[in-house]
Amino acid sequence: MTRTMNMQGNQACALGAIEAGCRFFAGYPITPSSEVAEQMAAQLPKVGGTFIQMEDEIASMGAVIGASMGGLKAMTATSGPGFSLKQENIGYASGAEIPCVIVNVMRGGPSTGMPTRPSQGDIMQSRWGTHGDHPIIVLAPASVAEAYHETIRAFDLSERLRVPVIVLIDEVIGHLVETVDPGEAGQEHVARTFASGPAEGFKPYAITDDLVPPFPRPGDGYRSHTTGLTHSETGFPTQNPALAAAALNRITDKLVLHNDLIERWRVREADDADILIAAIGISARAAEAAVTKLRAEGIMAGLFRPVTLWPFPEGALLGVIDKAGAKALLVPEMNQGQMIREVERLVAGRLPVHGLNRIDGEAITPADIIARVREIAP
Amino acid sequence: MSEAMERPKNVLIVGVGGQGVIMVSKVLAQLSLNHGHDVKQSEVHGMAKRGGGVFSHVRFGPEVWSPTIAEGEADVVVALEWAEGLRWINYLNPETGTFIADCQRIVPPFACRNRFRGGEAAYAPETPEEIMEQVHAGYVLDATGMAERLGNLRAANTVLLGALSTALDFPEDDWLEVIGHFVPPNTIDINIAGFREGREWALAGNKRVAENAAGLHQSHVVIHQDRVTTTVEITEEWCKGCDICVKLCPERCLRLNDRLVAELALPDLCTGCRMCEWLCPDFAIAITNTPVREAAE
Amino acid sequence: MKDVTQTPDFDINGYIRLDQMPHFLCPGCGHGIALRALLWAIHDLGIEKDKLAVVSGIGCSGRLSAYIDANTFHTTHGRPLAFATGLALARPDLHVVVITGDGDSLAIGGNHLIHACRRNLNLTCMMLNNEIYGMTGGQVSPTTSADRFTTTTPAGNTEPGFDACRLAEAAGASFVGREVTLQVLALKDLLQRALEHDGFSFVEVISDCTEIYGRKNDLGASPEMMMSQKASMRPDAYRNTVDVPFRPNALATGILAKVDRPEYGQALRAANARQQPAGKG
Repeated sequence: MTRTMNMQGNQACALGAIEAGCRFFAGYPITPSSEVAEQMAAQLPKVGGTFIQMEDEIASMGAVIGASMGGLKAMTATSGPGFSLKQENIGYASGAEIPCVIVNVMRGGPSTGMPTRPSQGDIMQSRWGTHGDHPIIVLAPASVAEAYHETIRAFDLSERLRVPVIVLIDEVIGHLVETVDPGEAGQEHVARTFASGPAEGFKPYAITDDLVPPFPRPGDGYRSHTTGLTHSETGFPTQNPALAAAALNRITDKLVLHNDLIERWRVREADDADILIAAIGISARAAEAAVTKLRAEGIMAGLFRPVTLWPFPEGALLGVIDKAGAKALLVPEMNQGQMIREVERLVAGRLPVHGLNRIDGEAITPADIIARVREIAP
Repeated sequence: MSEAMERPKNVLIVGVGGQGVIMVSKVLAQLSLNHGHDVKQSEVHGMAKRGGGVFSHVRFGPEVWSPTIAEGEADVVVALEWAEGLRWINYLNPETGTFIADCQRIVPPFACRNRFRGGEAAYAPETPEEIMEQVHAGYVLDATGMAERLGNLRAANTVLLGALSTALDFPEDDWLEVIGHFVPPNTIDINIAGFREGREWALAGNKRVAENAAGLHQSHVVIHQDRVTTTVEITEEWCKGCDICVKLCPERCLRLNDRLVAELALPDLCTGCRMCEWLCPDFAIAITNTPVREAAE
Repeated sequence: MKDVTQTPDFDINGYIRLDQMPHFLCPGCGHGIALRALLWAIHDLGIEKDKLAVVSGIGCSGRLSAYIDANTFHTTHGRPLAFATGLALARPDLHVVVITGDGDSLAIGGNHLIHACRRNLNLTCMMLNNEIYGMTGGQVSPTTSADRFTTTTPAGNTEPGFDACRLAEAAGASFVGREVTLQVLALKDLLQRALEHDGFSFVEVISDCTEIYGRKNDLGASPEMMMSQKASMRPDAYRNTVDVPFRPNALATGILAKVDRPEYGQALRAANARQQPAGKG
């Protein structure tokens, strides 16, 4: 029997999470992500999981980290203003290395903004929302099927690397119904490596070759300390410059070391593109249609789509540009220019980078992109 | 004006949070300002809770640029606590510097990590005499003891100001006037007396060291009573001298010794009631009551 | 005369992380006494250290968790109850204790406190009330008494303080108690009852901040502060005695509220079981 079914983007995140082994969800109602919580409330009890609606966004992030500290795979979902509120605790998860997944269904901002309208205004917030230098992974699916599978991958990465992972989806994808093939039933997913071995002399944040220390689960006899203060390998706070630097460098270096697991991108007609379009999510889907039509007109357009938005697939983008010998870049995004800053930084003036921005609560259309490409075509 | 006179004076004041390092440096800074100097004062404060050490750099002269003193360039180091003084002694000018320190010991929590009960104290082992041999000039005085005898422990910093006054070229009356502005009005007399004591102590001779006995403390006392044997064990390294056990002991048999560490002064009065153990916020007191076996049984 | 050999025996060394001692609290800080009482209660209940999880927030109270030989979590400011809620739901096998302060639980974390009281999840929350933000240098807190001087109320505090126990009770906490640090045996007993309670238990410990609050308000050293705290309280059991009219401002100590109502974790697990497909659960 096929497991293929139609589902909504938000629902796909919930079902993907359960498939990945998520057994705890804490949330707070917010448009346009509420369906994720509603789905989890309905589905989690069926698999022995726990759903709780907390008193606010901050509490739901706290409860998710608390559950993960207890050893469960845990997730929350939110949108713009709620995402802002969660940032302090996301920073805690990043610094104390507590795995967790946060679905952020982007909506217009700033402030309450346009709750029911799409936006890609959280590209920078998802990377730099919390204070201090911190590791974080952001995945940006462009379809409902991808939302399902990327949510699973979010858990895999989070549990493997002990880092918070954000699933950044567009409001239009969250509320879009598409067909999803979940694949075979009973697939294996990444399980967190729990500490084992002698408790005597155990260092919860030991710097190993893997750079990801095993997780001491409460009750397993390690009785370790977890803190948001900068800590040494022992887990206790330190202000020793050498120990602090070693600890902070390790948590960012671990993402560099495991970049092969993290990095993911997709291209379309990019091999010989004169004009390369770099876009994520729904803007990338508009770009796909635009590329087809532009090619029919004889304009050599191509698409580069980061699926892992942060860390940004730097080497991949530069490789695609070089291979194609692209003459210009276009970055369409539903904000006043966030991802373009990263792209400009990477190409460092080697070729012109143009923007296409909409902040009016409407998605970017293929026609918008076609018109802009015609303007900038060499 | 000669080159030497152009050079700013560097005074480094160090201690533990809460002792009055900032007050001492404010007095000196104000005094220098009153004398028409350019003054810079850089400090770290609010550290009473976060690791203990507090320092303040005071630089004054016709023109001062850098806000901090470089290593080996302090004309005077004033230490309100002995180990803190040693921590900064490398800032003292080895040729001409003066080292003024209170011999009072406050063991900061972070400085004595990993000391188990009965473990070896890692507090600075150097004796004041050894240090005095190494510096150009200096005094080690029991400022806290002097202040306490005058009636206010907190005047210890003015005692040290008195000693400091001998190393700088300001008239005594100007010092007293500024001190009067910085201390609470009802303590002016005690502080003036403290200043004079400190000044006299320093004027009496270079490299003078207080003759304080430090070995009064007994950390392990066994009391034999009719029916129980009580062992009172005080972990010196953990005691912060808060006075709770001393004041709340029903028999009043404890006291703080000269280093502000609790000790059992009147063991005959101790009933082994354990009140001190329970109320010690630092877990520094352990009482063990063992029933006495009658020889006949 | 009381037989001293009969006094309860408790060696705190078995419950603290000796390699972290001495702790960082100021001389005379009542938090240390409260910590002893808590560990003593845990000892007397026979709770295994491996099964004990202590969650704390930010502030002087927040640092206490680091000294306890258990699974300890020092979380973000005001949020320990939120973290603990997730942890306790994920791991019903653990004893989850929250250590928080007056600023942590009544100001920045006030929302979490009232909802934790309402929800009645099996947690014990020990709130250390010293009427001040000590860690940041002595700013006014939601429990600072009227007219007290702090660094942010240089002319005296003009805001009324919270009565944390009445707040917790009104929000639905099924166990509420208060004690002063001086009454260390009563405090230990109260905490023991709170830990035993099935549901959310809230214990307010009146602690002293001698170094900052006491000094700024001329309240004396720790022994004096502890004595005056005791003098301004009276056990709730004496509420009907004749001198009550003469001491209208005395705060009650002891167990102030205890009601039996469904524990949230059990209720939630029962509801979840009803949603499981037939034959599976």
